[in-house]
Amino acid sequence: MAVLAKRERRLLWVAAVPMAVLALSCVYPVFFALNNALKTNKGYILDRFGLVTAPTLDNFVTAWQRARLGEYFVNSVITTAGAVLLLLAVSSLAGFALAMLRFPFRRFLFLVILASLMIPVQVVLVPFYRTIIALDLVNTRIGLIISYTAFFLPFSVYMMTAFYSRLPRELVEAARMDGASILQIWWNVMLPMGKPALITLGILNTLYCWNDVLISLLVLQKERTVMVGIAALRGEYTTNVPLLTAGIVLAAAPIVIIYVFFQRQIVNGIAVGAVKG
Amino acid sequence: MGSKAERRIGLLFVLPAIMLVGLFRLFPLAWGFVLSFTDSNGFGRSSFVGFDNYVAIAHDPVFRDSIENTLILIATLPVWVMLPLLLAILIHQGVPGGRIFRAVYFFPAVLSTVIIGSIFNVVLRFDGSLNAFLKAVGLVPVDWLGNGATALASLIAVQLWATFGMSLLIFMAGLSTVSTELIEAARLDGARPLQIWIHVIVPALRPIIEFVAVVTTIGVLTSMFGLIYVLTAGGPGTATTLPEFLIWLEQGKMNQPGYAAAISMVLFVILGGLAYVQIRIMSRNANL
Repeated sequence: MAVLAKRERRLLWVAAVPMAVLALSCVYPVFFALNNALKTNKGYILDRFGLVTAPTLDNFVTAWQRARLGEYFVNSVITTAGAVLLLLAVSSLAGFALAMLRFPFRRFLFLVILASLMIPVQVVLVPFYRTIIALDLVNTRIGLIISYTAFFLPFSVYMMTAFYSRLPRELVEAARMDGASILQIWWNVMLPMGKPALITLGILNTLYCWNDVLISLLVLQKERTVMVGIAALRGEYTTNVPLLTAGIVLAAAPIVIIYVFFQRQIVNGIAVGAVKG
Repeated sequence: MGSKAERRIGLLFVLPAIMLVGLFRLFPLAWGFVLSFTDSNGFGRSSFVGFDNYVAIAHDPVFRDSIENTLILIATLPVWVMLPLLLAILIHQGVPGGRIFRAVYFFPAVLSTVIIGSIFNVVLRFDGSLNAFLKAVGLVPVDWLGNGATALASLIAVQLWATFGMSLLIFMAGLSTVSTELIEAARLDGARPLQIWIHVIVPALRPIIEFVAVVTTIGVLTSMFGLIYVLTAGGPGTATTLPEFLIWLEQGKMNQPGYAAAISMVLFVILGGLAYVQIRIMSRNANL
């Protein structure tokens, strides 16, 4: 910024005060959850606000074992990882073809995929549920993986298409001259070149899948994912706040770690996807 | 180019994406459309009933409440757009600590709505932390989630708090494209900060403001399920029931899928108009 008038700088300092309070409120929930998760239930009731004095890990053990969050965690890891890999494979194939290859109905197919963004899961809840019943996919992890892929796919295809359409098409032609098949071009040229977009999509889709409740409530009814487990924990142990917050810390930990390490990619990915394409 | 092999393989490469989208989104949409005109009970037999389901939902007080709640929610939209815009401009202008603010403001948006809802449930319920605090400082406790008016307001406030960082990021990206010379020139002409904001920055950001407004509207209509599910479960009564949650409640009653499908179609029409605008912006950006 250029030289600012004194008055203007003072104004910014004044604005910084409420902004700092808002910032504190944004990190407060994690502090709240962690602080209370370390208390005993009695300790929490006696002193809700105080810092934990005699930290205990009992709540984490209970949440993991007795409340079965450990099992749910495994379900979430498998379905999230499976869906993200499938999303990346399918969307990079489609994005490569849509952006770089010339074939009939190309534009139309792109529009169909983009238009399906208009169909959120709520709008097709009943017939979607009946479709997965008909395909015998209810209560299976593979069913949830496929469902996640179907619902998070259009945005990924859009991003990959936008990304690849900025690369020169000569890349494909040169590789073909060298005798590479189109599948080899995808694997050896397009995937490595698409790495920045793939990383961003990988992180974003991990967030979406891990945090989802609606689709997993519908598809995995007997088993649970960790977020559905948290929702149930809230209902079953209403009076045991330390146990609930311990579960929350466990369920949120992977996402918080991802955010801390990949903050730049997440932030840039969202900004680029929204504004610049 | 455009050899025979390329034509075939191009189609083949798009096929998995088209199949997934077709089978799990387009086909269910068509099925739901048909279903909404039937009295299907979920066990075989069903017959065509015309617009009966639509007439029935028009007279359904729960549906009407959910639409009313949606309208109240939409009335708050200017705040959803202006708050992050204001904060983005302040950060862009170099507010002290701006880079930290940017990262921290976005943080709640990466947490699941279930996580946020569960924490705020502990904070906001009648015997919760906020009331304990209010009592401690000598104020009257409020039944934030148990009282109709405050429950909807609490729900809206929590969702706004959880998502404003997302819009802020989009505005920040937009601001980085606004010419600094323009701002400098206005400053040299003696424009005061507020004048610069209103006459230079906001007009330059107009397309992005439109985009955020559309995306936020779609967001409040489709992404509050998790929060409603754990924070208020739609209640008390129907005070926090939105159409997307109502569809969930109706699909749980497996004996009248036609009725639930009709509600879905109404939501689809509302969303369709909004999404059409969004898709036009996005397809312009992909420069195919």
